[in-house]
Amino acid sequence: MTTKGLSGFIGLLSLGSILCFCGEAIAQKELTLCEVEVKGIRPERFMTGQKIREVDSTDLARNRFSTLADFLQFQAPVAFKSYGAGQLATISFRGTSAGHTALLWNGVNINFPSLGQTDFSTIPLTGFDEMSIQYGSAASCVGTDAVGGSIQLRSLPDFKTEGLQLMAALRAETSENFSGQAGLRFHHPLAGGRKLSGKTLLYGSSIRNNFGTEPITRKGKTLPVEPIHTRQAGAVQDLYYMNAKGDLLSLNLWFTDNDLAVQPEVMMLREITRTRAYRGSLSYQLGKTLLRTAYIRDITDYGKGENLNPSHTQIDRYILRAEHDLSWIRDCNKGTNLKLGAETVYFNALVDGYGGIRKTETRLDLYALLRHQFSARLSSSLNLRQAWVTGYNPPFTPSLGLEYILVKNDRNRVILPVSVARSYRVPTLNERYWEVLGNPDIQPETGFNKEAGLVWQHKFSEATQTRAGMTVFHNLIDNWTYWNPEKNYRVENLQQVLSKGLELETSVQSRIEKIRLTLQAQYTLTHASQQKEYGAYTRDIIGKQLVYVPRHAISSTISATRKAWSMDIQQQFNSKRYITFDHSGQPYMPFYLMNLRLGYEKRIQKRILNTALQVNNVTDVLYPNQKKNAMPMRSVALSIMIGNF
Amino acid sequence: MKRKLIVLCAIFLYACESDDNTQPEQPEDPYGKGVIVVNEGNFTDNNGTLTFLPASTQNITYDVFLKENNQSLTGGISGYGEVNGKGIILVDNSGAGQDKIEIVNAGTFKLEATIPSAEIENPREVVKAGETKAYVTAWDATGSWPDTYINPGYIAVLDLTSNKLTKKIPVQHGAQSIVIVGSEAFVGNIYSGKTIITVVDINTDAVKQTIEAGADPNVIGVDANNKLWVYAGGALKKINPSSKVIESTVTLNPASAGQSPGKFVLSHDKKTLYFTLSAYDENWNEIGQVYSTSVDVNTINATTPLIRKVFYGMATDPETGTIYGGLVPSFKQAGYVFRYQPTGTLIDSVKAEIAPSKFFFRK
Repeated sequence: MTTKGLSGFIGLLSLGSILCFCGEAIAQKELTLCEVEVKGIRPERFMTGQKIREVDSTDLARNRFSTLADFLQFQAPVAFKSYGAGQLATISFRGTSAGHTALLWNGVNINFPSLGQTDFSTIPLTGFDEMSIQYGSAASCVGTDAVGGSIQLRSLPDFKTEGLQLMAALRAETSENFSGQAGLRFHHPLAGGRKLSGKTLLYGSSIRNNFGTEPITRKGKTLPVEPIHTRQAGAVQDLYYMNAKGDLLSLNLWFTDNDLAVQPEVMMLREITRTRAYRGSLSYQLGKTLLRTAYIRDITDYGKGENLNPSHTQIDRYILRAEHDLSWIRDCNKGTNLKLGAETVYFNALVDGYGGIRKTETRLDLYALLRHQFSARLSSSLNLRQAWVTGYNPPFTPSLGLEYILVKNDRNRVILPVSVARSYRVPTLNERYWEVLGNPDIQPETGFNKEAGLVWQHKFSEATQTRAGMTVFHNLIDNWTYWNPEKNYRVENLQQVLSKGLELETSVQSRIEKIRLTLQAQYTLTHASQQKEYGAYTRDIIGKQLVYVPRHAISSTISATRKAWSMDIQQQFNSKRYITFDHSGQPYMPFYLMNLRLGYEKRIQKRILNTALQVNNVTDVLYPNQKKNAMPMRSVALSIMIGNF
Repeated sequence: MKRKLIVLCAIFLYACESDDNTQPEQPEDPYGKGVIVVNEGNFTDNNGTLTFLPASTQNITYDVFLKENNQSLTGGISGYGEVNGKGIILVDNSGAGQDKIEIVNAGTFKLEATIPSAEIENPREVVKAGETKAYVTAWDATGSWPDTYINPGYIAVLDLTSNKLTKKIPVQHGAQSIVIVGSEAFVGNIYSGKTIITVVDINTDAVKQTIEAGADPNVIGVDANNKLWVYAGGALKKINPSSKVIESTVTLNPASAGQSPGKFVLSHDKKTLYFTLSAYDENWNEIGQVYSTSVDVNTINATTPLIRKVFYGMATDPETGTIYGGLVPSFKQAGYVFRYQPTGTLIDSVKAEIAPSKFFFRK
């Protein structure tokens, strides 16, 4: 960590605080009951009292070449365990482990079922149209994995712009990373008020992350470099048909292919991991009823050496979901919404490690989400969820949330959100079925999350709005599973982990003359630790911060736009991270990371030409990945996008 | 950090000064007689280290290499040996193509040379094979399980005058254990299923012959009767190192059925063999003990354990006979070194680093 870098960073943060404490899109939450009555209500509206951050399509478009891992690392309290650029990156949300974040695509949990987690480096931002980051446990209808938080990815129709729009984009980075995207969007109004719209997108990239082969030294510290070559390819196909009554038929297809080679040039040393995912969803929103069927196939092949004889994993999921919304609306500020839903998933797993035996199971989830608004100031939600899994009964997981608007006037709004939620994680297929080491009797993990916050939104003027928020959370997770090295890596429900912390965030949206400025920054204090002794030597680890969880994390994104020009600064600071449970040995040192982007967008009639110059890791900071190799050093990327032609 | 220290000193001026005054002068050769503990580290964390336990004081030095070189070793550590006043550290990174051998001054632990990744892959054990020569067994590149040992193993010959790798002697797949007897090296292997011991002439660095010994031979050492002990094909065998003939197979009757033997090590006087017997109980706890036997017998009845613990690594001090056991509570927290008298009486236990697995005794 450079002291200079940190002071600069703090300077920028304080600049932000002087400009205001700040604001963020919670527009969706502010809809009145009258406005949302028409159709089915998005599940997020039932998350009263919970923290949600919306990432809109503009943000996603600016980061069109990023993966979810690249993007989310600048959104504390999300931390990543990365094995290197273009390699496995798993998430840690509020101090929890990789299996404690639900990743939902159009409402469907797409975590890889054998591992119960997702490699976020394989999910490009370009694969969906909208994202929300939901903090805490009450975050999804079908609740498994949503222990620390959840990430919702949504595909959305664009019924605004008529006609056909084409786009193509290219990006080249000095570290020999190249990406390309091409696609189209269309919206075709049909007779009788019916509409047809869709999106097709093809993308691909080749990531070498080339910083030479020699170990890199900065400020007396040296880290080795691991040669890799990752090839990513994918396709998105969305089709939407809406009838005159507003009933919507959606078809969403998403294919991703990720081929990672470590030591690609030396056949004898080569190590290949190829993951492919085929995802398809067909939904019909008929008035207040939603019917959805989805299919997901996840394939992983892993092999080493010259004669690749990869181990193979193939898991298919067949999903059916039905939802119906009911509402009793007294007036725009008083009323009740109820969403009743059921989802069933059939799993069919062929995994080499399960001894060549096909494993199948069926899961059923029932949920009732109830939202009651007492008045313009007070609203509440009560969510009830129960899952059944073949041979398993995860606990009943209710959640309760309250939101009280303490101050509400022309310029200020002060909100008090509170929520308590139970959560669970169904053990992964590997945890149960892996030959010898798996444990068919393993229990589901359970969590109990409590959080409370204070949000102040302030409008300085029409041009400047700010928001400041504070949240404290306390999440106790029991039966935390652990592949126990003491027992030859057999999996056990060994641990009880308490993750508690404080989150501060601030955002500003301002227009100063012709400059549009947005700033958002987060600070997180997290303490996550093992609570319970389970062996003769566990007293060495009780109460100590869990591995890879930074105690302090700061992140910020600043964007300024003036006419055709735009500039973005992404910053991230992580304090020391331990890699051993007893904090022995060398921890990972604090690090500060900054990315800088300069964009120029020219519009000629309707056509858009967008070019951007991005410098990643501006301060050329050397910091380690999970394998103790160097993470990417400074690189420069040039990208160009042409659209609407 | 430095600034913080200065501020602290300003506040507690007196304390700082007195501290400085009481600090002993750094000796020329800070690492004398004692034990180097090889802490293997956790597989993908690549955090293997060496701990120095001095013979005369309680001042343990953790991560000696980092302390003396201001940089960490970059992998798991699979072995340590000393030849010609130099320490040889085998660095086995979890990533292919990132292993290496660090050569340090054995007195100061300052780095002198590195055998780069291009020249060594999966080094396993190191022994002294001459006044200025070391032999390092290596697997070479591995494939994915179950075809792990796809390449023949080799002995890397290190010249500790030039600090260079001078030759690779091909041996069987999965080459691991190595014992020097007179002018010959006896090389065993693990897991690859190979059944031979390769005999190498340490003067010519050439393979002389092979001995058919049984699957995955673990070459243990030469006892007081000049017999080479080997555990191969699930049985203990005594080989005559001159004739290369298996003279007897030792019957080992474990204390209870289902126990597997391991961690064979000879006592300092080579008259006793120590080993562990362990098994997993119904809750997958490894339950095991250390037993001892006279090397004269041809049947071992393991009845009374010497030590009621099972260790990840075991060794005996060649001078005192003290038994060293490396205990690994988990690969994610520091392990402990337990020391026992040859009778099995506990002397003490000291905290080491991640996965203490091997010990090197410095004279």
